[in-house]
Amino acid sequence: MSAGYIDELHEAFHSDLAYRSEDIPLECSPKPKEMEQTLHGVMKLNGLIIRSLEEIAGRGANAVTYRAGKKFGHEVAKYFQKREDVEGALHELSDLLRGQYSFEVWKPEDKETFIIEENGETFIYLVFHDCIVRQTLRRNGLEQGGPLCQTLFGYVVGAIEEITGRKAKLEIVHTGPNACLKKLILK
Amino acid sequence: MEIHVDKDACVGCGLCVKDCPMHVYELQNNVSVAVRPNNCMGCLSCHEICPAQALEHRGVYPARRHYIDIKVCEMLRKVI
Repeated sequence: MSAGYIDELHEAFHSDLAYRSEDIPLECSPKPKEMEQTLHGVMKLNGLIIRSLEEIAGRGANAVTYRAGKKFGHEVAKYFQKREDVEGALHELSDLLRGQYSFEVWKPEDKETFIIEENGETFIYLVFHDCIVRQTLRRNGLEQGGPLCQTLFGYVVGAIEEITGRKAKLEIVHTGPNACLKKLILK
Repeated sequence: MEIHVDKDACVGCGLCVKDCPMHVYELQNNVSVAVRPNNCMGCLSCHEICPAQALEHRGVYPARRHYIDIKVCEMLRKVI
């Protein structure tokens, strides 16, 4: 390795910035546009991890990822205001997921209310629009609805349970390239 | 939501009818017709499976797309 190359490296990683220990960065560095390659790298890595997990653990992969997501949901939502009404909880949840996922409460035209009671179960339809999981799966050519989706399921269920104190379950009704329809079942 | 089916392009395969969970489409005289457009939640899976690319949706929220490979796009831009 030539001395010139080492000097060049040292030069690249040197700055005249004074950085004090109490300094808190106020914005991401570098700019998001420059992070595109990193984002793609992370998506590829996540896709490979999920694919390998599925190959080794089979159907057990879903249980692992669901559990991981649920723990994460409980962990994040415990700092949020506790509420008993589901509508308020969903509002809290959309704040919680902002930037990663966006969803809306949805109903078919023949239903009068968003909270639907059918065949002895109470549920709400949620349409997920922006979803980092969907992006990752499509980036890697993986099928939607598998273990990585279970992470999001767990996350939503964990957060709803933490906010409302009620047990919940999420089911996939339909997946698409632009949005996915999910059913939040309340117990 | 406005859904337009190009009647000349539609081959009447019925894939959109089978795929849509909200029964937005029906086959009428071997052509797909959007009979319940208000039930559409904009997933666009019908677009993905339509072999004739005969569908057009208006008023759909376009989800963020992070999965487009930047390098592939750069190469395509050079070619197109």
